[in-house]
Amino acid sequence: MHSLYRYSVLYFLLFSLLLLGSSFLIFEHKIGFSQLEVVHYYLGDEESFMIAKTPLGLLKIILPHIFAFGLFMMVLLHFLVFTNKRDSSEVLFIIYAAFIAAFLELFSPFLILGGVWVFAYVKMASFFAMLGISLYVSYLLFVSIIKE
Amino acid sequence: MRFTLIKDLKKDRMMKPILGGLLLFILLYIVADIFVKQQTIGLFSAEVALTLFGNTEEYLDPISKAVFLETLHGEVFFLMMILLTLSAVFVRLRAQKRFSLALLNITMSSALLALLSLAFAYFFSQSFINLYVLTFFLWHIGAFLMTILSLWSLYRA
Repeated sequence: MHSLYRYSVLYFLLFSLLLLGSSFLIFEHKIGFSQLEVVHYYLGDEESFMIAKTPLGLLKIILPHIFAFGLFMMVLLHFLVFTNKRDSSEVLFIIYAAFIAAFLELFSPFLILGGVWVFAYVKMASFFAMLGISLYVSYLLFVSIIKE
Repeated sequence: MRFTLIKDLKKDRMMKPILGGLLLFILLYIVADIFVKQQTIGLFSAEVALTLFGNTEEYLDPISKAVFLETLHGEVFFLMMILLTLSAVFVRLRAQKRFSLALLNITMSSALLALLSLAFAYFFSQSFINLYVLTFFLWHIGAFLMTILSLWSLYRA
């Protein structure tokens, strides 16, 4: 990798931390990190004046995120090519896990709307899995940049 | 990104107009962003403070936490993608220049600081607004220069 590209990647990682941090704050503020709060957010709650989401409303929310998640994951994960872990089974696992977690994070709310409340846990687990994977990949890239 | 693999971009009949188009659109984004910010959050300290905290005398409500977080989140995503793309093109076209490293660092760090200082202004102290305004203009000027220099490198004889 050209030495100047390392700066670009480093700044991208810092922006990624900011993105993940803001997504955590939004989740915490708008939804909450308990099964009941997740269910209330999607199915509505009279006590806290929350209106139930409709499938179309949900689709409108996730539509820009479908593209954004795919793009973000692609950009972040493709930098792993420049690390010494390239072609390892660990990286392959991370790639599949990242996209599966992103998919579940986006689409599990539809099953919550369908009454399968256990998917509230899936929503939270996939969100934290996405955060964890992104942070781990950022760490791998950061170490690779520093050592290079 | 295929353009990182081509040896001489200036002589590549296909990549040259593609990168030229990309740089032109980035330039348009940078300029348009200033006009949009002027109408939404405000460009200068007093306007930004009014948007973030409102004014009871003028019956202006402060921005809600949910709206602020969503705005910041979207802003981070767009900025990181645009600046990564711009910096990749810039490095490819002007890697040999010593000035490039300084410009790249100033632009990227000021963009990062702009986002952080806006969040700090909302959550911790209003005094961060001045830093936000300063870094906002700094990253726009830096990115504008990076784009112009990249276009210059791409099209000069």
